[in-house]
Formats: sequence, C-alpha cells, structure tokens
Amino acid sequence: MFRAPRLITTAAAGASVVLLSTACGGSGGQNADGGWSPERPIELIAPAETGGGWDTLARTTSRVLEEEEMVDQNLQVENKPGGGGAIGWAHVANTPDDPHKLFVTSPPIILVPLSGNSDHTHEDFTPIAALATEYMAYVVPEDSPLESFEDLVEQVEEDPESISIAGGSGPGSMDHVALAGAVKAAGGDPKELNYVPHDGGGEALTSMVGGHVDAAVTGISEAAGMVESDDARMLATSAPEPTDAAPDTPTLQEEGIDFDFDIWRGVMGPGEMTEGQVAYYERLFADMVEQDSWKEETGNLGWEQSYMDSEEFGTFLDEAHAESGEILDEVGLGTEQG
Amino acid sequence: MDTLSQLGYGFGIALAPENLVFVFIGVLAGTIIGILPGLGPMSAIALMIPIAYGMDPTTAIIMLAGVYYGAIFGGSTSSILLNAPGVAGTVATSFDGYPMARKGQAGKALAIAAIASFIGGTVGVVLLMLIAPQLARLAVSFGPAEYFALMILGLTAVVSLAGNNLTKGLISAVAGVIIALVGIDSQTAVLRFTFDLPELYEGVEFLIVALGVFALAEVFTMLVRRSAGGAGGAVTSLRLSRRELGQMGPAAGRGSVLGFFTGVLPGAGATVASFLGYSAEKRLAKDQDTFGKGNIKGVAAPEAANNGAAVGSFVPLLTLGVPGSGTTAILLGALLVLGVQPGPMMLTERPEVFWGVVASMYVGNIVLLVLNLPLIPLFAKVLKTPKALLIPLVVVFCVVGVYGLSFSVFDLWLLLGFGVLGYLMRQNGFPAAPLILGLILGGLMEQSMRRALQISNGDWSIFLTKPISAALLALAVLSLAGPLIGMVRRHRSAASSKVTGGDNGGGGVEKQRR
Amino acid sequence: MVPFRFSNRTVAVAIALVAAGYLALALRMPEFTAVEVPVQPATLPRLLGAALLLLAAVLFFQRPAPAEQAQDASDAVEDSAEPSSPGTAEEGTEAGDGAPAGPQRLGRLSDPRLELLLFAGSVAGYITLLVPLGFLITTALYIGATTWYLGYRRHAVNAAVSVGVAALVYFGMSEGLNVVLPSGPFPF
Repeated sequence: MFRAPRLITTAAAGASVVLLSTACGGSGGQNADGGWSPERPIELIAPAETGGGWDTLARTTSRVLEEEEMVDQNLQVENKPGGGGAIGWAHVANTPDDPHKLFVTSPPIILVPLSGNSDHTHEDFTPIAALATEYMAYVVPEDSPLESFEDLVEQVEEDPESISIAGGSGPGSMDHVALAGAVKAAGGDPKELNYVPHDGGGEALTSMVGGHVDAAVTGISEAAGMVESDDARMLATSAPEPTDAAPDTPTLQEEGIDFDFDIWRGVMGPGEMTEGQVAYYERLFADMVEQDSWKEETGNLGWEQSYMDSEEFGTFLDEAHAESGEILDEVGLGTEQG
Repeated sequence: MDTLSQLGYGFGIALAPENLVFVFIGVLAGTIIGILPGLGPMSAIALMIPIAYGMDPTTAIIMLAGVYYGAIFGGSTSSILLNAPGVAGTVATSFDGYPMARKGQAGKALAIAAIASFIGGTVGVVLLMLIAPQLARLAVSFGPAEYFALMILGLTAVVSLAGNNLTKGLISAVAGVIIALVGIDSQTAVLRFTFDLPELYEGVEFLIVALGVFALAEVFTMLVRRSAGGAGGAVTSLRLSRRELGQMGPAAGRGSVLGFFTGVLPGAGATVASFLGYSAEKRLAKDQDTFGKGNIKGVAAPEAANNGAAVGSFVPLLTLGVPGSGTTAILLGALLVLGVQPGPMMLTERPEVFWGVVASMYVGNIVLLVLNLPLIPLFAKVLKTPKALLIPLVVVFCVVGVYGLSFSVFDLWLLLGFGVLGYLMRQNGFPAAPLILGLILGGLMEQSMRRALQISNGDWSIFLTKPISAALLALAVLSLAGPLIGMVRRHRSAASSKVTGGDNGGGGVEKQRR
Repeated sequence: MVPFRFSNRTVAVAIALVAAGYLALALRMPEFTAVEVPVQPATLPRLLGAALLLLAAVLFFQRPAPAEQAQDASDAVEDSAEPSSPGTAEEGTEAGDGAPAGPQRLGRLSDPRLELLLFAGSVAGYITLLVPLGFLITTALYIGATTWYLGYRRHAVNAAVSVGVAALVYFGMSEGLNVVLPSGPFPF
C-alpha cells in the first residue's frame, strides 16, 4: 500500500469506555500509604496508528491492567500518529507536568531524534519502566550459500554490490542500525552495506524468499514462520544470550561478534514527574509484568520479559543513545555530521 | 484429506450456530462502520478486536473476516450515494456509481455493487481454496522491479480516466504524484515538501484528498446548481433487467479474477485492483463513451475486483504469514494475540482455522448479499433528502471522517483546501480521478523503483531482465499506444469538424464525463 | 453562468507558476550523500516539476477543444433541466410542505461566486470552532444555520435534525466506536 493510513483512535479502549462512567470523582492525590495516585483517567498514548508495534503494546498493557483491575482510574489508549512518533511525543511534551499522560516507547525514541526528525528526545521525558523485548534475526533464504554471519560480512567486504540486505524500516531506523552495528562489530564497514528499506518486516522477508534480495534483518518472531517451513534460515540473532524464541540459532556474541540489539518496549511519561508519581507507575508496571495474562499475551506475540525500573531504564536509554549515535555516525546518517 | 473433504470440514465449522451468528454480526458491524468515511476495513477490524479477544480463535477470525467484507461494501455505499469514497478501494466505484445515483438509479447501483461484491468474493474464495499453496509462489515472485512495472501499468489507466482532454488528465495525475511525495522519504528518511510542518511528515492522507476533491467539491457544485430538491425517480428501486444482468456478469467475472490475483500480491491490494479492474473494463468495452456517466459495468468491475482482492490478500497472510495490506496486518496482529501463528505451517498445524476461514468466506459472502439487498432501499433514501439539509450533512460527514482519522484540525484545513481545489478543477475541466490515481500509485511507483535500483546498484536493466516486470511493462506500453493513437486521431477529426461543421460535430464526438 | 471557470490560458499560467515554484523547491533539495542511493529523493520531484511545466505549456497553446464548449452547453442544459426533472414533483410532496410551490433555489445571494465564498467561509468557521466549542455545539449550530440559510423552511425539522445528528454522531462515535470527538465544555 501507499503509506499505511493513519487510523482513528480505536478500541483497545473497548472495555475502558464501558468503565468510563464510573471513573469520575476519585479520591484526590494521596492514597492510603501516602504515595501519589492518579486523579483522572490515564491516557496511554501510542504515537502511531492502530495495528503497529506501539499500538499493540499499548493495547496489551491497557487490557491486562483493566482485566486484572490494577488501576483505580481508567486507562485509555489514544493513538497520536505522525512524524514517526514525533507528533505523539510533542503532544506529551506540551504538558510536561501532567502525570496522567504516558506513552509507550521503543528504539525509535532514540533513533528518530538522532536522525533529526523530532523536536524532542528521550531526555525530555521520564522513563518509567521497560516491559518486554524482542531480538533481531539475520535471515537468509534456505538455499543461500551463506552459513554464518561472518560469511555475510565477508561477502559485504569482498563485493558489497553482490549482496543486498532487506530490512523492514527506513535507513537509520531499527533494522538498519541492528544490521550496521553488527557488521561494524564484526569488523566490516557498515557504509558499504547495500541496505534495502521495505515497509515492514513481512515485506522484507517476502522479498528475500522470492529471491529479490539476498538476506534480511527482522524481528525473530516475524521470521519464525518462514524458518519453520524451511523457506529461510537464521544466521544469527542479536540477543545477548541464547533465546527461547530461536534456541538453535547462535547469537552474535557466540559467533564472536560483540554486539547485541534488542527491540525493547517500555513506558515513558512527561518530563516533570515527581518521585511519588514515578514510584506509583513503577510499582504498577512491576506488578503487571508478573501477571499470567501479561506473560501469556506477550508470549504469543513473541516478546520476552525484560522488566527494568525507572532508573535502570534511564541508564539503559542513555547507553542506547550513545551506541546508536555512534553507529549512525559510522553509516553517515548521524545529524552531527549533517 | 483432499480439498473437498477439507472444505466440508471447514463448512462444518463455519456453519456451527455460534459461528454463523458471529459472521452475521461481523458483516453487519462491518457494513455500518464502513459507511462512515474514514472508517475503512482496517479500523473496522481494529474496533472489533476487543470483542474478538477471548473468543475461540476460529470464531474470532470468522467474525473478523465478516467485518472485512462488510466494511468494503459499506465503503462502496458512501462512494455511490455521496461521491464520498471512505476507502481507497472504493474510489473507482464512485466513477460510475455516483453518476448512476445522480440519474436516480442509486438503488440499482447499490444492488449491482452488492451482487458484484458477492461475485468477486465468491470467485476469490474458490480460487483461494483451489490454488492457495501455489499462489504463495506468485506472491513472492513479485519483487520491487515487478511492483514498479505493475504500478506503471496501473498508471496507464490515466488515459482511460482522463476524460476528453488528455493534457488536463495528465496534469491531474502529475499533481497526484506530487501530493504523494510529500512527507518523510521512506528510502532516505529525508523530508520532502513538508514546509517544516510535522503534520505533513507522514504525508497527506489519501482520505483527505478523496473526500475533498470528490465529496466536498460535489457539495460546492450542488450549491451552484441551485436546485433544492432531492434526487428524483426510482432511487430506491433495485430492479435490474435481464440485459443489465447480462452486461454486469462478465464485467464482474473479469474484475473478480483480476482483483483476486492483484490482491494476492502483498502491497498491491484492493485499491490497485479496483483501478485496474475499472480501466481494463473500460478498454474492453464497446460503449466506452458511457463510462463515467453511469455505466453499470463501471460499477460492477471495480466492486468485484476489490472484493476479490480482499480475499486474495488472505493468501500471503495464511500461506506466508505475511500481511499483504494494512488490513491483513491488523488481522495478523489479532491472530497472534489469539495464539494462532499464520504462516506456511498453518495449513498443517491449524487446519481447522484455515479451512474454517475459507468456508466462512463463502458464508460471509452470502450473508453480505442477504443482509444488504434488503437494506439498499433504506440507504438509497438518503438521496431524497432535500439539498439544503443534505449539503451540511455531507460536510459534517467529511469532517468527522477526517477528524476521526487523525484528530488533527490541520487535516481539516487540508480537507477544505482540497475541496476548493477539487471544485476549481471540476469547473475547469480537470478530472479528479487521475489525481487520485497518481496519489495512490505514484508513491508506490517511486518507492519500488528506487528499491529495485538499490538492489541492482543503480542498474536500470533490472526492469527489463526480469520476465514478469518486462511483460508488465510491455503491456503498459501496449495499453498506452492504442488509446493514444486513437485519441490523437479523434482529436484531429474533432478539431477539423469544429472548423468545418460548427459545434454540432464537436458535441457529437465527445460526450465524456466532466 | 459558470462561476470560477477560467480560460485554458489563464489556468495554464497559474499551473506554470505553481510548477515553477515546485521545481525551484525540488532543485534546492540537497543531494542525499550519507548512504549511496541510486536515485536521489529529489530526482522524481524535479522530473515532475518539469513535466508539469511542459504540460502547462501544452495547455497554453492548445486550441480550446470543441468538446469543452459542448460541455459548457450541456452543463447549462443540466442546470436548467434539473428543477423540472421528474424528481421535483415527488420531492415537493416529500419535503416541501412549507415551501412555496415551484422549484426552490438554494441560498440567497445572486452572485454564485459570493455564495461559494460564503459557503467555504462557513466550513472554515465550522473547522475553527470545532475544538474550542466542541463537536456537539459546533455541529448542531453549523447544520442548523446552513440549512436555514440555504432556504429550508421547516424550522422544527431543521432543529431536530441538527441537534439529533450531532448527538447521534457524537455519542455513536465516542461510546460505540471509541472515536473521541472534541467534547468542548461538556464533561462527557
């Protein structure tokens, strides 16, 4: 399709609206043990259209929180698509002291600002918790002569024009960074890569299985089906240690390449949140990831548990920012280099 | 199991009472949601997911498939009645559907749409059932080079959509492509023509342009026409003569097959299918002149094509696990949440889901017809509304559609802007259809061209050395050459007849759509 | 008469100006050099700008096709024919009780250009007030006022429809479909 249509705010809130009527009035800012608790319905913003990764994350989160009755207030998912996330981020940044607006997040909060397409960066927001993660797979068609990620890097070095590698997103975005970073760590020159951006991992994989490109980089769960049916092989995953999602595939680390990359998913809030507010949400999400329904649903989606609290998440984000910035500079896409 | 016994098994599942009830609910909800502009099949399915959640996966996907067809049909309804295509796939339906409605044949147009949708859906399902596994190969055989060629073929439809002045048609089409290129360039992440407005980063939404240049422009025209009454005649009559059925049958049949195969290709989808269906039918027709003025074949072909394509888009989803369109991407998400992993293994691992879905598509198509034929007179009554009331209602309808899509007032201003543009175009003889064609296909064309060249390291011969791509391009050249020569010839003779015989001759030569 | 119809030459000049502006912007787009790309993001826009200029030139020198004059004529026929089309009589019984007999005209100004500008203005007003006043109030006011202005005489029906439609759409969308329209001053 042409650009996937932005959609209406739809219905994750299916259940939440029913509850909406009971939501007014609540007990002010303090709860029994003296901490902060929300005074109004909470907006959980997915800065993308319905159906994408952020939307799924927001809706899964809200569904689990509603079903397990973990929040006194309603939690409504709102889609604020546009600008690769920039519109949604700007929306949250406009009210930096409103603790009732959270948003779901993942690597683009680092990568989009790095490529200069957002007025806000991750530093303008408060990290609340990382919830789940997924790793990348480097995939080739079943009949490819490439047997390991090393082979791939070698071929790129020998004759970069002879190998094209598809990814599901534009240059400078997740798939590209995951590929470029790995190639760089393996001693190759990421600038040589013939990276072919597609609209989504599915398209990239189809292109590869059809023999139009020579390899692809996508999320493990996206590639799993084609691997199972012997249409494709995974050369390596970007997980730090062997993962249940692809137990037989070596990680880059095991191949001696010091690089890992994960599509982490988490929740952030506006910039000026008090400690009490952060603590409230931290506890909420820490409890949520323990729920069986959360584990089951995220398991179905192929995500792995990787909870981080606000502080860990913040440190992690800063590191990810530095590392991605370096990779992008290397490829030539960093804004610093213009 | 052979296919038949598998299908029997599937029907056993689809006809289980609770599944039947949910097909019915799905189709009904889909139709109603689809009528609202801005709420296409994608949003309709997204809206129904919370309801589907917790259901048995088979029942859930059966219901969601029902929502899918219902929403496509609902989209056609607003295309025909109000010239307000809410979904890209139904734009082509409005080319002849709306003129029919204006001639007082709204009921007939809707009936044709319903029957053609049914044919499209049914043909699609039969093909899906017979050759789905083999089709997976077709789907992957289309790489960027092949898509580029397909888009070029699609763009040649501009000739048949251009009306009586090819120059103006081409200007419209170029403007459409220009609009399509606004936003972040997906190949390089460079901003193009966004004028520092973040609202434009993701481009101009198709729906805004379509509602502007079709529906709002129509409202402006109504205002100037100044007749206050509603449409007259037998707007609610569904009756089709045997001759009309005979005319629409083959058109719908061709549209179905074309639509299905286009739908199978990931990324091409219902929109391209409906445009291809429309322009192919027009080229084949002997009565080309009446296309755009309410030719029933011009309704039947794109309607059959978009429903055929909807079914076709299930092929990559069910056999490869790859969503071929935004809508199937949402379906994929829903299936994953329900614990079903579609993909090459689905047929062996979850046959009950696969065959249940196939069978429920048959059932869904029948329900669509049974449900909608009786509702048509009701829908068609809309046109009896006095204009003074209808005009503001259409404006509200467009505003709700656009606002509900993006929650952005900026987009509403764009809507008004495109309405004014559409009106000016119309007054000055610029057809709107090529604009939409350029908008939809132009962006895809550029993207696949650059992607193909990226793969080939800038070697243009990739488009000619790949057999499918070469064949499609050859077809495109052929389909341009014929009409172009004809048009030049006609133009000459028209011009000369003007000189010699006054405007009688001219009027006779070209009674095209405005 | 046909408002806002211009000669092909005027239109061609206008298009040429737009095309020139677009081309200038496209030519100023920087080359993308970070990663090697075979086709620059600016390539197609430049071609399109040039194509549009060329087409404008063709249009400028084109003889007005006879078909377009015929179209003028057929428009005129259509315009005058419509009030007497068979539908009008039927419509009279259906909706025109309060209206005087005979074909009714939409709007009040004699110059259709002004009428169109006024109408576009009213849509602009609707858009401007939508968020501050909320969907319910703005929509009811807009439908009511426009319908009244366009000459619909059954004011009770008008009032009922404008409030009814606004409420139906608003609550249908927000409760049934979770599409939250601007609420304005209301708490729901």
